[in-house]
Amino acid sequence: MTNWLRRYDLNAANAAVLLFLWLFFIVFMLYPLAYVFSNAFFTDSGFTLVFMKLMFSSPNNTIILANSVNLGLAVTLLTTVLSLPLAFLLVRYNFRGKGLLNGLILIPMVLPPFVGAIGMRQLLARFGSVNLLLLEMGVISQPIDWLGGGSFWGVVILEALHLYPIMYLNLAAALANVDPSLEEAAKNMGANSFRLFSTVTFPLMLPGYFAGAIIVFIWAFTDLGTPLVFEYREVIAVQIFNMVTDLHQNPMGYAFVVAVIALTLFFFYLSKRILGGGRYEMLGRGHVSSAARPASPTMTVIAYAVVLGISALALIPHLGVLLTSVTQRWFLTVLPTDYTFQFYKDVFSHDLALLSIKNSLLLSSLSTIIDVVLGVTIAYLLARKRVPGRSVLDALAMLPLALPGLVLAFGYVAAFSATPLDARINPVPLLVIAYAVRRLPYMVRAAYAGFQQTSVALEEAAINLGATPMKALFQITMPLVFANLIAGAVLAFSFAMLEVSDSLILASKESYYPITKAIYALLGRIADGPYIASAMGMLGLLLLAASLFIAGRFFGRRMGELFRA
Amino acid sequence: MTVSVKFESVTKILGQSKAVDNLTLNIGGGELFFLLGPSGCGKTTALRLVAGFYSPDEGRILFNDKDQSRVAPHKRNTGMVFQNYALWPHMNVWDNVAYGLKMRRVSEGEKKKRVRHALEIVHMQAYAERMPNQLSGGQQQRIALARALVIEPDVVLLDEPLSNLDAKLRIEMRTQIKDIHRKIGRTMIYVTHDQAEALSMADRIAVMRRGRLVQAGTPHELYTRPESAFVAEFIGGTNLIRGTLEEIGELLTVRTEAGLVYAKNGVKGIARGASVFCSVRPESLRLTSAAKSSGQPPSGANNELLAEVQSIMYLGDNEQYSLRLADNAMVRAVEYNQPSRKAQVGERLTLQFDTHAVVVLPEEELGD
Repeated sequence: MTNWLRRYDLNAANAAVLLFLWLFFIVFMLYPLAYVFSNAFFTDSGFTLVFMKLMFSSPNNTIILANSVNLGLAVTLLTTVLSLPLAFLLVRYNFRGKGLLNGLILIPMVLPPFVGAIGMRQLLARFGSVNLLLLEMGVISQPIDWLGGGSFWGVVILEALHLYPIMYLNLAAALANVDPSLEEAAKNMGANSFRLFSTVTFPLMLPGYFAGAIIVFIWAFTDLGTPLVFEYREVIAVQIFNMVTDLHQNPMGYAFVVAVIALTLFFFYLSKRILGGGRYEMLGRGHVSSAARPASPTMTVIAYAVVLGISALALIPHLGVLLTSVTQRWFLTVLPTDYTFQFYKDVFSHDLALLSIKNSLLLSSLSTIIDVVLGVTIAYLLARKRVPGRSVLDALAMLPLALPGLVLAFGYVAAFSATPLDARINPVPLLVIAYAVRRLPYMVRAAYAGFQQTSVALEEAAINLGATPMKALFQITMPLVFANLIAGAVLAFSFAMLEVSDSLILASKESYYPITKAIYALLGRIADGPYIASAMGMLGLLLLAASLFIAGRFFGRRMGELFRA
Repeated sequence: MTVSVKFESVTKILGQSKAVDNLTLNIGGGELFFLLGPSGCGKTTALRLVAGFYSPDEGRILFNDKDQSRVAPHKRNTGMVFQNYALWPHMNVWDNVAYGLKMRRVSEGEKKKRVRHALEIVHMQAYAERMPNQLSGGQQQRIALARALVIEPDVVLLDEPLSNLDAKLRIEMRTQIKDIHRKIGRTMIYVTHDQAEALSMADRIAVMRRGRLVQAGTPHELYTRPESAFVAEFIGGTNLIRGTLEEIGELLTVRTEAGLVYAKNGVKGIARGASVFCSVRPESLRLTSAAKSSGQPPSGANNELLAEVQSIMYLGDNEQYSLRLADNAMVRAVEYNQPSRKAQVGERLTLQFDTHAVVVLPEEELGD
């Protein structure tokens, strides 16, 4: 017993903190999941597979499952195609304005795709700008039904245009991590460019690629907002959303959530173990010289053309939202005929809009505080202390990366109904916790990176000179990791402000609507609803852009580490 | 008053293995004491036990006969210089050095005087306002030293303080640290894997291997009278010729496959017939041409063995020879300041060496 204890840094304080963390994860992550599983497999009369059978035998359901998987795969593929050339150009070449282009690539992250969908709908409607423009130019004689046919491709394109920066960050990091001397060794052995890429560079990039790809896949696979706005209802996310309201009558909701979890785990496993292969430790020692070389003028032009082209494409939905938000009159014309700032004023006077902004600020602030406290504590324990169950703690803190918000929110509604936390009575506590849990991995990673970069010897030096361990922590280590904590907190806060799926599912009463749910509700109103919604979307966009900018300043090249599994 | 440090049968377990294994050491007050050994031998663990970052699993650590084993590190009044210096990057040089005094609530005036004095000792007065990242490695090293000295610690602990410096600076700093030790006269415990550093600086050295103490003594004792093949090999480097102890008289007679070797010195207690190593330093071997040699074991002060030159390495002030003995074992020899080359590759010649240059050691397994 004493031998067992001696292997760990366990004192009363550490043990209490650890116990609290375990309790938190059990209550707010494991229990809701277990609840969902038990309802999917158990009825009053015991264990049953009838719901799962129904899930996979009903042609209706299998089509829905297939749609969602296809959606995830198509988005992953499209983001790869978009970001691979970007990564190569920006990692391998140096040219003027590279930093600016790097920033430009990240911009599409700032708009939740379901807001972009509003703008897209305006542009691609039967008598929207695109058709009208094409009609005017005489390219077509009949308007094309862009959004028809289930809108599958509309959803794919919007999500891909939103998510390719995440893929880019991961590919760029993976490419930058490939030791140039390994490539030089291959060239020295006589490999040409193609063989070099296919036999050395690409295999070395794979683990990094799949770490990003799985995030993109899970995001698209379980995204709720975009299909809702496009009214593409034949996907799992929308089905689950519709079943939340009657989950006590219809256990199929549980079965759908279990299917989502099973498929997520399956793809996660596939990406990590089989496709991602082993993580190759870079064996080469010594200084890794930069692999970037000066670009020729032609290459510079190509780089600018590719980046600007893709960015312009990605900004089309944003442009649509922007135009919608300032439109006074926009009917059967390519561009609005009258402009107004009325809707921005409305945001701050409209009951629902103003209330939702207040709600979101409160919810996000609270969840960010929880994230900072939990994230710093967990990261400190992981980085600095030998505690029992270390790897399990690590896995639990990272689990939300692979746990769709949809699943978490559904689990909360189900598991905590008829408890003091019941979301249908007051969703605030569960919304705060859901936001916090969803963004916890970012905070843990940001803080962990800080603790890792800050040598323990710095703290020991202070203790050696007479500082108590607490003093050393707060005078030496904390100031040094402060930048990381700020960056992590800014990201956690702004993503919480624009959380979609858990907000849509958990916020049950209008008085508790956060911004995203208010935008969704406004879209359904006739008259000025969509316009105010667009104005709110623009404000959210500015907020997220500002915070990503701040976070980017702190993290620099390591930004990609936050968006990977 | 200087402070002595005592290890009393100290054992420290890290992970599954004994990082320090039943270590007993007496470090005198004011000594410049070295812990020397290959990486993983437990020397840094021993140092951290003195600092208090580890507490012993068995045994005690005493400062001036007062038990420190359970005293928290911040209450021990040791000043440690870390291998990577551990200067706080968010504080300038002055604040780094003043930190320990702040913790001790030293008055403002006294603090200024002592920080200035500490910076003077390490010749860094002009750099008080700099941030650590604006300093070169050697300068950072000196600030780390000043930071440890300014609190007037009972024991100064140095963990491979010179290992991150380039060769030239390293040699320069050896002299400086020795000077500082003479000036302040405090007990210093210095950890290194560099035997030249230890030999050139130490009052006394403890050689460690696999967590255990192998031998402690002055540099001269360790070099001339090693008690094990490991110490002979680790300190200065040596040739170990395998053989059997045949006779114990005024000289020890060892039968090796290359011929008989006579030795003046040996570790006490080796029985006749035991397997032994004859340790002969490369610089003790003299190359003489085969023709002059009688081929017979001499009766006087000299040993003679036949050898063939395998390779020669020219190093400027000396030449190193690899030679093959009659039993195919290899030995090294060094010739200093030779005006012309003594032998050619492939040449057969005679190695002469004095009987007092040979130490007979018990056979043991080598490596870390």
